[in-house]
Amino acid sequence: MMPLQTTHNAPVGPPTGRLRGLLSAPATPFLAPAVIYLALLTLFPFIYNLVLSTTRLNLARPGQGGFVGIDNYVTLFGSDLFRIAILQTAQVAAGSITLELILGFLIARLFFAVRDVNGSSLLRTIYILPMMLTPVVSGLLWSYILNPTLGIANYLLESIGLSGFAWFSSGRTALITIIAVNSWQWGPFLMLLILAGLLSIPSEQYEAAAIDGARWYHVVRWIELPAIRDVLLIGLILRLIDNFRLFDIVYATTKGGPGTATEVVSMFAFRQVFQFFNIGYGAAASVVILVMGVLLTTFAVRFLRREETRVR
Amino acid sequence: MRLNRSIFGVLLLAVAFALTLGLASAQGVDWSSELGDHSGKTLRIIMIQDPWVGAFGAINQRFEELTGARVIIDSFGYDETYNKEVLAGTSRSSEYDVVVLDSPWIGQFAESGFVDDLTPLIAQDAAIVQFEDFVPAFQEVSRWGDEIVGIPFGAYFIMNHYRTDLFEQAGLEPVRTIDDFKAAAATFTDNPDFRNVFGTAMNNQRGAPIGQAYFEYIWNFGGRPFQSTYPGSPEPYANMTPLLDSPESIAVVEFFIEMLQYQPPGAENFAWDERATTFAVGRTAMVNAWSVRTPGFINPEQSRVGDVFATTLFPHVDGVDPVPPLGGWVMGINRYANQKDLAWDYIKWFTSPEVHKAFVLEGGPPSRLSTLQDDDVRSAQPWADTLMESQALSYAEVRPRIPEAFEIIDTIGLYVSQAVQGQLTPAEAMRRANEDVAKLLRDNGYRVDD
Repeated sequence: MMPLQTTHNAPVGPPTGRLRGLLSAPATPFLAPAVIYLALLTLFPFIYNLVLSTTRLNLARPGQGGFVGIDNYVTLFGSDLFRIAILQTAQVAAGSITLELILGFLIARLFFAVRDVNGSSLLRTIYILPMMLTPVVSGLLWSYILNPTLGIANYLLESIGLSGFAWFSSGRTALITIIAVNSWQWGPFLMLLILAGLLSIPSEQYEAAAIDGARWYHVVRWIELPAIRDVLLIGLILRLIDNFRLFDIVYATTKGGPGTATEVVSMFAFRQVFQFFNIGYGAAASVVILVMGVLLTTFAVRFLRREETRVR
Repeated sequence: MRLNRSIFGVLLLAVAFALTLGLASAQGVDWSSELGDHSGKTLRIIMIQDPWVGAFGAINQRFEELTGARVIIDSFGYDETYNKEVLAGTSRSSEYDVVVLDSPWIGQFAESGFVDDLTPLIAQDAAIVQFEDFVPAFQEVSRWGDEIVGIPFGAYFIMNHYRTDLFEQAGLEPVRTIDDFKAAAATFTDNPDFRNVFGTAMNNQRGAPIGQAYFEYIWNFGGRPFQSTYPGSPEPYANMTPLLDSPESIAVVEFFIEMLQYQPPGAENFAWDERATTFAVGRTAMVNAWSVRTPGFINPEQSRVGDVFATTLFPHVDGVDPVPPLGGWVMGINRYANQKDLAWDYIKWFTSPEVHKAFVLEGGPPSRLSTLQDDDVRSAQPWADTLMESQALSYAEVRPRIPEAFEIIDTIGLYVSQAVQGQLTPAEAMRRANEDVAKLLRDNGYRVDD
């Protein structure tokens, strides 16, 4: 059987011959499907979106779209609503991740402590159930629970003599409620990662700490946090990306209101494209969101690598 | 002499038309000969998930028996219906044969060519369609330029629904003016004689709910949203200079803010469903709601106030001519449908006086004058008098019907909601709304004065 050659073994010719060499390389047929897949499903939509973002295409007025250069981007960066959406997306991300991290750690610690108790795995399964729900279902579920007239939450509050609470209805509380619902759904994800990290710690380390008279916060600081840090950083990056494209929960509960209280970037782009059919303007918004997402992720990944190097 | 002959000709045609109508309604239509054989075909209709969708199920069975066709209805929420219909039109999809359109979408669908002009078909089947029998303002709603975009079947009016028992206990008369409305709302809120009851509930949710509410009230505050859009205007969209920062507009927003104190907790996020639900469960003493909700209020399975409520006209500022908000749905034929004969057969059958009456008796909204005056209907829907009064005063352009309507309503909805939340003052909110809407209209080629 012929050994499989890679492109590293292919002869490197002058620049004009490089493409020919690449095409005739034995690995090319194997790589081609993936390259074609990426070109069709990733590169083409992105380039098409980029082209659309330079037009005034509006499906409400077919045939009236024309090239407008960077006008859509100028309008976008001048839009107060878009600025508010970016700021609030950052607030949701910061609030949700902090809450998920704190709750995730505490609950993971609890499950870790009772890991040998009968029924603890069942409790763990129940706890991660919200993560299995489609986000829009989660949003609808909470919109019913927190419905000011028919919801059970206010009913329970009123039955103990308290007044009903304006969960999604007040500009002051709506974003906090969104953060809470988001954390309820995705908190278990970080909890699972942290629990996996805790379970990987050799029991000898705990025994040594106990012999040395370490207190609980010493154990957390010097044994547990270093053990879970890598897995936690990956989890945080994933959650950061997730929060940046948060849409379903906001759509199902507040649609960005009241006022602009829960406007996030995905909701902004959705409204432009699917409600106003301003395809050009919406495409510009989605390009900006994508670029911001890529920058954020790149920054986070570099930070993660730097941390890994520093620790080693 | 020629003039006399013309007049004679017109009179003769009118008499013939009246006789045909009389004959058709007196004897009923022989549907087996009027409708084609569509055995084996499937008719697909897209519409909003409004309370009358169930009534369609009950009625359509007869059409299936008459024609052999199967009727499938796909119903969605308001925004989703609009999205799907626009996307079907832009992609030239033949998936749906009949598309059900809300009044603000008429201009967009006509100008984009997503639906057929039904004028020739209506002329061909004039005796069955009896177009002149539809509520006059709604006839206007279904027209765009020289075209008839759809046949009306779901005319709605916003009426004031009030609890007769509570009003009687409080010694109040039904509200007539905005001041009456405020006073009654204040009476029932935080009143130990009316525990757990609030004055009213309104659409305060950001976007279309509060944006449409603005259009419902602005006329009744003596204002108008655009320079040449007013009852009696010969060309409602000729001059689209927005007047959203007028004193009347600002007064509407101040009214919304003032009314919040008389509404249940969470009212800032209320839309159509929530405001109607508060009334149905007995938490509010009155609600201004679309008449499509009214059948639900008398249904004991959906309401606790079935026999203790009545209706009256939408309130207006004292001294201002009332303009009861008009809305509702028409049925059009998808320009790209492959089964247009079947689609038209269905539309003319469903909207005919006979079937429309059956639809109304199943809970549908009466949209014909003859239906509104029908004894069976008046007995089943005692609010028919208020509807009759509302239709006579209503105005087809209560909400704009131009292609930009959706974005205009949403833009206004954003700023009004910000004012209601205290994020902006009413004057600043409406100044910004005016600026944005003026830009939108100017960019799309409308006349907007500086």
